[in-house]
Amino acid sequence: MVAILEHRRLRDFDWFLVLLALAIAIFGTWQIYNAQPELAYWKKQLIGLGISAVVMLAVSLTDYRKLVHFAPVFYAFGLVLLVVVLHPSVGLKINGQRAWINVAGIGQFQPSEFVKIPTVLMLARYYGRPRSWPLKFREMLFGAAIVALPVALILLEPDTGQALTYMPLLAVALFLSSVRMWLVIAALVVGTVAVPAAYIGGVKTGLIKSYQQKRIEVILNPENADRRDIGYHTWQSIITVGKGGLTGSEEAGEASQSRLKYLPEPHTDFIFAVTAENTGFIGSILLLLAYAVLLTKLIHGARRAPDRTGMLVIMAIVGGLAFQILINVGMAVGILPVIGVPLPLMSAGLSAILATSIAIGFAISIRLRRFVN
Amino acid sequence: MKFEDDSQNLRARLNVIHAAVFVILAVLGVRLYYLQVVRGDYYAERAENQRIRRLPIAAPRGAIFDRNQNLLVDSRSIYNVVLSREDIKGRDPSDFIESYSRGLGLDPALLRERFEEIKGQPQFETVIVKENATSADIAWVEAHSLENPELTIREQPQRRYPENGSLAHVLGYVGEISPEQLKQDRYKNNQENAYRPGDIIGQDGLEAYYDELLRGRDGFVEVEVDSRGRIQRELRMVPPQPGQDIVTTIDLDLQLAAEDQLRNSASKRGVIVAMNPNNGEILALASAPSYDPNLFSQRVGTPEGRREANALLRDPKTPLYNRAIKGRYPPGSTWKIPMAVAGLEQGAITVKNSNIACGGGITIGNKFTRCMGSHGSPPVRTAIQVSCDGYFYRLGLKMRLEGIEKMVDDFDINKKTGVDLPRELRSWTPSREFKARFTPKGGDPTWREIDTVYASFGQVYEFTTPLAMLRAVAGIGVGGKLYVPHLLKEARAVAAVGPFPERALKTFERPEPKIVHISPENHQIVMQGMSDVVNNGGTAGRIKMEGFEIAGKTGTAQVVSLGKDVGENKDHAWFVSVAPASQPEIAAIALIENVGFGGTHAAPAVRAVYDAYYSKTRGTPAAGEQEQIARKQ
Repeated sequence: MVAILEHRRLRDFDWFLVLLALAIAIFGTWQIYNAQPELAYWKKQLIGLGISAVVMLAVSLTDYRKLVHFAPVFYAFGLVLLVVVLHPSVGLKINGQRAWINVAGIGQFQPSEFVKIPTVLMLARYYGRPRSWPLKFREMLFGAAIVALPVALILLEPDTGQALTYMPLLAVALFLSSVRMWLVIAALVVGTVAVPAAYIGGVKTGLIKSYQQKRIEVILNPENADRRDIGYHTWQSIITVGKGGLTGSEEAGEASQSRLKYLPEPHTDFIFAVTAENTGFIGSILLLLAYAVLLTKLIHGARRAPDRTGMLVIMAIVGGLAFQILINVGMAVGILPVIGVPLPLMSAGLSAILATSIAIGFAISIRLRRFVN
Repeated sequence: MKFEDDSQNLRARLNVIHAAVFVILAVLGVRLYYLQVVRGDYYAERAENQRIRRLPIAAPRGAIFDRNQNLLVDSRSIYNVVLSREDIKGRDPSDFIESYSRGLGLDPALLRERFEEIKGQPQFETVIVKENATSADIAWVEAHSLENPELTIREQPQRRYPENGSLAHVLGYVGEISPEQLKQDRYKNNQENAYRPGDIIGQDGLEAYYDELLRGRDGFVEVEVDSRGRIQRELRMVPPQPGQDIVTTIDLDLQLAAEDQLRNSASKRGVIVAMNPNNGEILALASAPSYDPNLFSQRVGTPEGRREANALLRDPKTPLYNRAIKGRYPPGSTWKIPMAVAGLEQGAITVKNSNIACGGGITIGNKFTRCMGSHGSPPVRTAIQVSCDGYFYRLGLKMRLEGIEKMVDDFDINKKTGVDLPRELRSWTPSREFKARFTPKGGDPTWREIDTVYASFGQVYEFTTPLAMLRAVAGIGVGGKLYVPHLLKEARAVAAVGPFPERALKTFERPEPKIVHISPENHQIVMQGMSDVVNNGGTAGRIKMEGFEIAGKTGTAQVVSLGKDVGENKDHAWFVSVAPASQPEIAAIALIENVGFGGTHAAPAVRAVYDAYYSKTRGTPAAGEQEQIARKQ
């Protein structure tokens, strides 16, 4: 593949982005090993990493414009997968969610992770046309529909966490497609007022169910919430993170929170807590810095994208990644409720790392063609 | 950007997103700093607390021996089948009743009752399904560990007391420390070997009095547990240090003889105490009825055991009471011994002129108080021998209340003896305050001459504990040295274990005896009188022993007014004595409740103890050993 590359392309290839993503993923694999060295997750993750690297390269060397051109096909195929997975004879039920399809020889894969890519492409394709006017209501509605279809199907699985991660894709696409500023501000104001208002109103009027109230109380005061029941995950995660201290816990290893099974789902949802326990503040802050560099690098690429479509693809990816990082790490450090969202490049799972790699592949492909018209 | 249109502010909007990303990461970073750097130690400690569990290893409690190294109490391990709530996850334990009762051979109704009881306590951790499990039970639990992971076998050191209630009042029993006890100074302030909730401590008898000696120092094993409480590995272990073994002054042979007498007495209620008058060592202390201390150390945790314990507490025969130190009885004519000594010492009578009229009784005002016989005008020796009431009425009048009060004070009858047993009661003795306090409403609260008469024959104004009475008479027997009666001989040394230092041998620290002045002549004449009681046709002539001169005094204490003294309300029988009279080695007292005359019932009981003592010290059975007279009554 490299042989057919033009010399200039090779020179413009964003090796740094690839290496950074790989470095985070390898660091993540080490944490998966730390979480449960006796289990095979870290080995599977290594294999997934190899596959992902190849796929990332393949995507980055393909002209993204061709892929965008065929976006409706991918999108339709993705929707079919999301429908098919709901059928008991195809979909695999794990933790009450019918979200996985078992593929012989490869293992389980999760359509909701992959459908993000065609959704992003569809959004970019639709909003990517040259424009010099603010978004019309009809246009916004159309974009919302693009996102609503997969989200509705994912909610049927039901996988609220995954469904949530589609929201920032639309939000970023709208924001960068000159949605009127007053709409943005109005949405922010409604959002910041609605949450506390809903809590107070809900508690006062009894509209919110008591278990939902409890979930909120867990976040407000994790130490005094019911630590055995509903507050268990949050409290254990806080302990695990805090225990890491500055440089990582000496009591990690055999006595780690995950190996003694205090921390649930340590290799997926709570991989950040494992990282924090093993590498301390230094390790976890370095990871956040790595994410900051990665996202900055992507945004940088978006600024130099050859066209509006490319810019929107990259920025939607940025929005999706940043949102997942916020939800996942926020949950691990006890400032957000427990929602099952994987941490990009860190959580164990072939689907997640592959989807993220494809997304980064797109960003590289777009950057590679920045001087091409 | 080639496609950029300034009207869209695209550059600014990208900056906003970029800034938002940094803000998000910064917020997360600040939170991380707070959790890991600011509060890191706190959370590390919380993680340690849930990871490391300290399982106590109960230290064996010291054993208790008699003076000849016969084992009286020890501890052994029993195994209980325990159900832990953690592992049944909200299921109702009642669901398992059928399977448990079949597998462990238990009564389902009994199990149901136990489970019902714990339902009220939402936070119960464990409940004992079966105590004292057999090896078959243990095998069953182990074979069914998959179906019934909630069942475990737990070792528990258990105190083992003589099963027939022998020595129960001396030994006492152990039980869990109560919340109230934890607040008491004695338990609160023990820094060296702190008391904690759930500790098993002595609750009565020597177990309670010498708890600090008997108690070992618990060890522990620190284990690492996972989120479900399963032990992953052992981190460190500190072995326990056993408590000190105690050697008591009890002589088991004398003790058993005394218990046998009480068990076979007519009312089966009473006290026998024997002690060495030369140092205060108690050789036997029996109180009847008795109880099984194993109830409190073993069975009281179960509903059946609690029922049994409640029944004991409510029993009108008060089997839990140690009558030797908590029973207050009118001493009857045994009172005449300290009276006679005090009368001589205070000069109310003299050795040369001790004759006082009997008169068959005495009339004070319009009230006649009779004597049981007509004894003419006897000297003090004869008055003791025949127990002449008329003599002592008049002696009391000569001594006056003040003289009697001085006598009481000299012989410490108004004080606790100081025996090393918990919760000893003080005797009640004659005084103006006592009368004023106890006169019923409408009665005459002032002390009159007739009251002095009453106070001089041990029937109305004095209620003494048998031990106080024995101490006084034993002291008189050795010429005026009142030792503190005690049960501890020594506590044996225990070697250092792990972090716990050696505990040294501790012998009983005997307090100086109280010296009461008794001139040799006065001493001699009273002893002669007491000897005549047994050896010269006195009130206890039937227990005369060849080659072992018993000097004693009978007493028959009226419980209700004359004429009603039958059946349940018969008189209490007393006998108090020392032997041999010339050089006392042993003092013994018996009180049998509601059986009648002291000479008939109490004296033979004491004789049985002397028989046991004689064959031990003289090597041969006492000549003319009595037919167990008390047994026949």
